[in-house]
Amino acid sequence: MSEYSVVGQKLPRVDAVEKVTGAAQYGADVHPAGMLYGKIVRSQHAHANILSIDTSEAEKLPGVRAIITQDDVPSGRRVFATDKVLYLGEPLAAVAATDPDIAEEAAELIKIEYEVLPVVQDVMESIKPSAPRLHGDATKDGPNRRNINAEIKKLADEVDSNSDEIRELEAELEKYADEVYYNISAESHTEAGDVEKGFAESDIVVEDTYFIPRVHQTYMEPHVSVASADSSGKITVWASTQGPFAIRSGIAGTLGIPLTQINVIGTTMGGGFGGRFGVIITHVPAVLLSQKSGRPVRVQMTREEEFLDGRPAPGCVIKLKTGATKDGHILARQALAFWDSGSVSGASIGSTIRVRGVYKIPNIKIDAYGVHTNKSGTAAYRAPGAPQAIFAGESQLDDIAEQIGMDPVKFRLMNMREEGDSVPAGGSEPKVGYKETLEAVADAAGWWDREANDNQGWGVAVGDWTNGCGPGGVYVSVHEDGSARIFHGSMDITGTDTAITQIIAEILTIPYANVTIRRGDTDSAPYSTGSGGSVVTFTMGNTAKLAAEDARRRILELAAERLNTNADDLELRDGAVHIITADPPKSISLGELAAYSLSTTGGPIVGKGSFARQPSTPALAAQIAKVEVDPDTGRTRVLKLVASQDVGFAINPMAVEGQIEGGTVQGYAWAMMEEMQYGENGNINPGFVDYRVPTSADLPTVESVIVEVPAPNGPYGAKGVGEPPITPTLATMANAVRDAIGVRITELPIKPEKVVEALKNNGHGA
Amino acid sequence: MARSTTSFGLQATPKHPVSLTVNGDEHDLLIEPRKTLLAVLRDTIGLTGTKEGCSTGDCGACTVIVDGKAVTSCMVLGVTVSGKEITTIEGLASDGELHPIQQAFIDTGGYQCGFCTPGFIMASKVLVDENPDRTEEEFRHALGGNICRCTGYTKILEAVLQAAEEIRTTS
Repeated sequence: MSEYSVVGQKLPRVDAVEKVTGAAQYGADVHPAGMLYGKIVRSQHAHANILSIDTSEAEKLPGVRAIITQDDVPSGRRVFATDKVLYLGEPLAAVAATDPDIAEEAAELIKIEYEVLPVVQDVMESIKPSAPRLHGDATKDGPNRRNINAEIKKLADEVDSNSDEIRELEAELEKYADEVYYNISAESHTEAGDVEKGFAESDIVVEDTYFIPRVHQTYMEPHVSVASADSSGKITVWASTQGPFAIRSGIAGTLGIPLTQINVIGTTMGGGFGGRFGVIITHVPAVLLSQKSGRPVRVQMTREEEFLDGRPAPGCVIKLKTGATKDGHILARQALAFWDSGSVSGASIGSTIRVRGVYKIPNIKIDAYGVHTNKSGTAAYRAPGAPQAIFAGESQLDDIAEQIGMDPVKFRLMNMREEGDSVPAGGSEPKVGYKETLEAVADAAGWWDREANDNQGWGVAVGDWTNGCGPGGVYVSVHEDGSARIFHGSMDITGTDTAITQIIAEILTIPYANVTIRRGDTDSAPYSTGSGGSVVTFTMGNTAKLAAEDARRRILELAAERLNTNADDLELRDGAVHIITADPPKSISLGELAAYSLSTTGGPIVGKGSFARQPSTPALAAQIAKVEVDPDTGRTRVLKLVASQDVGFAINPMAVEGQIEGGTVQGYAWAMMEEMQYGENGNINPGFVDYRVPTSADLPTVESVIVEVPAPNGPYGAKGVGEPPITPTLATMANAVRDAIGVRITELPIKPEKVVEALKNNGHGA
Repeated sequence: MARSTTSFGLQATPKHPVSLTVNGDEHDLLIEPRKTLLAVLRDTIGLTGTKEGCSTGDCGACTVIVDGKAVTSCMVLGVTVSGKEITTIEGLASDGELHPIQQAFIDTGGYQCGFCTPGFIMASKVLVDENPDRTEEEFRHALGGNICRCTGYTKILEAVLQAAEEIRTTS
């Protein structure tokens, strides 16, 4: 029996009825009177100079009410391309018309003259001197050149620049001429210990290059916003976004107008996964069109536009090297990674460090570069950067385990960090259920009794992630009927409103059904962090707890007044305040206290919670897959997929299972199916026929296993649960295929043709 | 690729009379021949519960029931369904009582963001009405025309099986 009555229960979500009856209002469901339909005009080339933009024909089309280009952006911040386009589908102008089809027609009537430029879409090509440059001469030295250059700089302060030492170093530098990288958007370097020494001491060193494709978050609701600028200049934006407050400041910054002039109303979000924070994708064009036309305007992307101009997850190439002893101790790991950041910087290159995993590896060296290509920019996708890095790290770990003849689960258990171990980033390892989680999945999947069958394979991998934290505010009011109402400003990200409601019901000791929750807009609600980075349950859960405790203080104060006793003698239980020692029992209900409060000096019961930051605790996801591979067709069928996760404490186990199942299937898809493909002139698979995402027919039931090792600062010990489950699945699947066919595939997705080719290259088949 | 404007121009396209029964209500409408059933439901009638996820018939979010059959409404022109009976997500609950399929999606946690849910519920309704005795595997394949990006399908299948069981035992 749980010590709690509401948290920890599988309760139906607070938004259940609106979601199953079609009543929930998403972005495209907003339709203010007089609304126009916006359409963005997009580049037809992946790389080109813009010679001219002629809107005159479009202006003549009946029904067109506004056309905007970069000339209409008062701050000058880049919303539309002017002189040069860097990817297929980049916005050049936008149109608003009385009918969506008229807007589309008008967009097609805008004449754009291009001077086509050479295109680069592969990171390994883009870093070469021969590659076309996207942004002038953005070059960086590679790791070896970087080290030598640093030595030269240091020496130059001390000695003559013509010294022999410096000249020798400069000669040395020449050897690494091909380590000058071009089109670099960002770099990140981390070092601990001495990897060269670690490799020298290793009995086994494995080295490989891993290719991970760019994939789209593919939330089911395409980007959409409805904007209405009134004649006083006040702007209202109905936005499908993970972070209304970030959108408010983003619009204010881009347009150079005060925050208070903008109200952002977050509409029910049709999925986000990290990809729904963008400001200029639809929100700013909608505002500009509304300002120009004087009418409300909806800008809604098609699915094709999502693939061309969404902000997907970056692909990358990771060269990874690992050294270990014969008896299974990992001594060193080194990575050189090139992340495809597209036309702007911003790929999660810092996540390359996750190749180190949750293992005791004394010597680490990471060099990571963001590389420009002629593609749209990237954004977060569920544990940004981690699935890519962990795919490389956990694939290579299995290859080492095989070479030294050790069971992959035992090999991982042996190398996992333990409580008190030093952490590479500094400090010491907290208590995390690393081993418990891996053992739980091994037991649940039947790992220890697995049989070796022809063409079948088992794969295991683990992935770690730590939830973020951010500012938030919550109010809770208690009413005369004993019910409570929560008011806050964070977007529900598939269950977080439910978790907040459960926490407040628990503390106020009232039934879950008697607590309701309302999200405000940015004009009314207290500031809230964006709903991404697994922050919401951690942040808003803590905030909700503080608000409920504040309300409880007021409740006890009122009860002490009413019952003529000290607050210390009182206890809140079952929706009433009781005098602990009273015989016969004496109590007063929350409803009576709320009614009484209305005529007191102190006033109604309103609890306030405000919170910004507490250290988070890492979480682990561990997964096992059993697959069967047809060696003739190369098709892989999943027979079993089991996912465990250390969630700290499951506030709503049904919602937590849903996160584990959903994240695991997204990871499966990245491993086996999904890939944004690029031809000579940009993306060539912008739709669900060519970019296949999994359906229920593609894989069996995912079994989830919840492990609870409490996080000291999480509400009731809870950790953020949304992101971890996607982190190990890419490697889990690759390791299972490796086990089935005996050949390592390092390039995702593992489509049938790659399996057939790998088998052929390895001397199998015809 | 530029489409050619009709000889009337888009704004002046002649409208066609269409009579639809939607969730039991009769609608006599004048609609442009280019408008899809999805656009008619959402923009003309104002029933926005049916969702637009791809506009190419691939994701199933816009699934509605037309004369007992599940149909992706983005693939059907409004003028072609005149005289037919249409049920949308808004028409499934009756007398304030949720349909067993709606209840099952709630009980099992068969939805997360909820955007694909109306389409899944409508497609599932047709499947359980046709044959509630399908196995899980059969339901998995039969629902292959609908995409959900949040749930990983595990709890959607639980919901459909629960609803099928209930319909089996009560009918």
